[in-house]
Amino acid sequence: MSTIDAGVVLGRVSARQQGRTAVRRWRWAFTGLVALLITAVLISLFVGSVSIPAGDVLKGLLGQETARASWTTIVHDYRLPKVITAALAGSALAVAGLALQTLFRNPLADSYVLGISSGASLGVALVLFATGAGLAGLLNTLGVSGDALIVVAAGLGAACVMLFVLAVARRLSGIAPVLIVGLMCGYFTSAVVSILASAAMPDRLQAFINWTFGTFGDVTRSQLPIMALAIGLGMVLMLAASKSLNALALGEDYARSMGIDLRTSRTLIVAGAAILAGTVTAFCGPIAFVGIAVPHACRVLLRTQNHLLLIPACALLGASFAIAADVLAQAPASPTVLPLNAVIALFGAPVVIWMVLRSSRMAAH
Amino acid sequence: MKRLIPALLLLTLAASPILARQTTEPAPCDTVAASGASAAAEQASVEYAEGFTIEYGDSYKVITVTQPWPGADASEQYVLVPCGVTPPDGYPDAQVVTVPVQRAVSMSTTYLPSLVELGLLDRLVGLDEFDFVYSPDVRALIEDGALVEIGGGAGVNVEQAIALEPDVIFSYGIGSTDYDAYPALRQAGLTVVLNGDFAEADPLGRAEWVKFIAAFFNEEAAANALFDQIVTDYTALAETAASADGRPSVLTNAMYGDTWYASGGRSYIARLIADAGGRYIWDDDESTGGLPLSFEAVVERGQDADYWINPNFWSSLADGLAEDERYATFSAFADERVYNNVAAVTPLGGNDYTESGALHPERILADLIAIFHPELMPGHAFNYYVHLQ
Repeated sequence: MSTIDAGVVLGRVSARQQGRTAVRRWRWAFTGLVALLITAVLISLFVGSVSIPAGDVLKGLLGQETARASWTTIVHDYRLPKVITAALAGSALAVAGLALQTLFRNPLADSYVLGISSGASLGVALVLFATGAGLAGLLNTLGVSGDALIVVAAGLGAACVMLFVLAVARRLSGIAPVLIVGLMCGYFTSAVVSILASAAMPDRLQAFINWTFGTFGDVTRSQLPIMALAIGLGMVLMLAASKSLNALALGEDYARSMGIDLRTSRTLIVAGAAILAGTVTAFCGPIAFVGIAVPHACRVLLRTQNHLLLIPACALLGASFAIAADVLAQAPASPTVLPLNAVIALFGAPVVIWMVLRSSRMAAH
Repeated sequence: MKRLIPALLLLTLAASPILARQTTEPAPCDTVAASGASAAAEQASVEYAEGFTIEYGDSYKVITVTQPWPGADASEQYVLVPCGVTPPDGYPDAQVVTVPVQRAVSMSTTYLPSLVELGLLDRLVGLDEFDFVYSPDVRALIEDGALVEIGGGAGVNVEQAIALEPDVIFSYGIGSTDYDAYPALRQAGLTVVLNGDFAEADPLGRAEWVKFIAAFFNEEAAANALFDQIVTDYTALAETAASADGRPSVLTNAMYGDTWYASGGRSYIARLIADAGGRYIWDDDESTGGLPLSFEAVVERGQDADYWINPNFWSSLADGLAEDERYATFSAFADERVYNNVAAVTPLGGNDYTESGALHPERILADLIAIFHPELMPGHAFNYYVHLQ
């Protein structure tokens, strides 16, 4: 990263020369990202495994009568919530991945390194495999059952791991140990899940495996506000931490010299990322790759390390990416469905390879 | 030292005949047990099942399992001979099994009803999992400690299985080394026969596998009588249903995550629905297996279905709402015409629908006719189904 770029970020050097070109680039980039998101939303609403004429889709969105009753149900109760869920999930995962890549100064970091998705899967495994007693029974008495049970269990699991990692992050001086602890949490919870799964009833095992495929279609209209609220909270935390993130991008010593309290900012960033990723995992199952690939694409697109710009950009691009992956997974005009995580990995992995090869010098150092 | 090595070699050579005698002498044949092998013994012929055939020779039988699992490209052959009789030539790849079997292990609950109704429970020595057993007779054996649990799948306890000294292990395969138990068992030298009943799409064909099991115990006579009665009852019920007015449309299963795993149009449940006088909403599909569909596709076709059966593991409509509140948009759900096969279940996960139901499709058919055309079956008490409220 050149000194002029650094200077631009810190506002020390006037944005007149390099800056003017940069601002123009960002304007174009953001316009493009918004246009991309709108296109993705439209495609997702109008194209699905069932062919519905465009006019009927519009009527269905407004909740009006359509030529076939099932079409209103499909568009209003299924496609619309799915698009919103995918957008929220994609943006949340991308922003969380961005923050963690900066915090750990590792271009391959995402919420997995904090063990969050593993913690969530442990929560789900406990309610699915530990029949009757335990967590499932406890939550049942609270009136939480079925689908809501999975969400709450996944959220609790993610939260437990998050709190543990946060406690570790507060005590340690370096960030690398936190990475190790997070990964170890991930391995530990995966091991417990495997043991539980080995003794599980086949139908429960199938349900768990289906959960690990990830889906955007399981969040109903009544659950959406909760998801949106939690993700909103996470985004606010991230934006609040963007000054710290900008400083951390230049190195911990530099950040310290700028007066950034490392422990507080680390806590804030980890908490924000955990809330974002944990919420998505709780509602949609573990979704991979969005957190790794999208931040790299944004950095290449905007050519900046300013997180005040990168966070919104990642949110927009992440939303588009998730919606596009979902459209592909639904295999338009065919009634069969592909697992979401498989589709994302199929397209995400080559992107990550390309990004890593191309942008190793653009990594947050 | 110079003399030591040749001495050792000589010793080894001398000892080799003793070392090579690994095989033990075969046990003498129990002539009382080897009954039913005479020419007068009844033979079984296979009419409905497509997965196996039985051929009879002078003093042997050859069972060929043509489809151990759906899409299998290799068949299995078993040559059944009485004790002391040399197997015939001409079946080089077949496994030789001495019959009648005295010690059997069952790796699926679908084989248990056959053993119970053929009076062969005294030959059963082991199961894969105790938890999923429904049959009260077998549960009694478990309580008495007469059976050993050897586990299932790729994690099967091979040592435990060897210690049981079974003559035959009745198992199945799905063609995946991650999930199949039989490779590990065969590698240990145990005799495993693959039962492909689950791959049969015809309900009577699936029940006919009772003859497959019976052949290993020389109980074809009993199996024939049992199966003939099943066919008679099933055919009579199907004829009654065919005379009914109208064919209500039927939706099956429910969502699992992002996918609705419906059944193919030529599958087991599709045929039962058709024979019960219903119209399966995907009867235009040609497959016999599962049909993974998106929620959209199911809403498109199934929202107005008259009846909804087999929705996952619900025991009440509230279970359905807890799973996904959008199920309420299906008219069958809103009008409370949802039925699930959970009437005969145990707390540990046993379900008689997949146990005795596999052998008695006429009982399932009776339930379905009572659901779709209640006027034809007044006063019918459900065997397996529950009307969800």
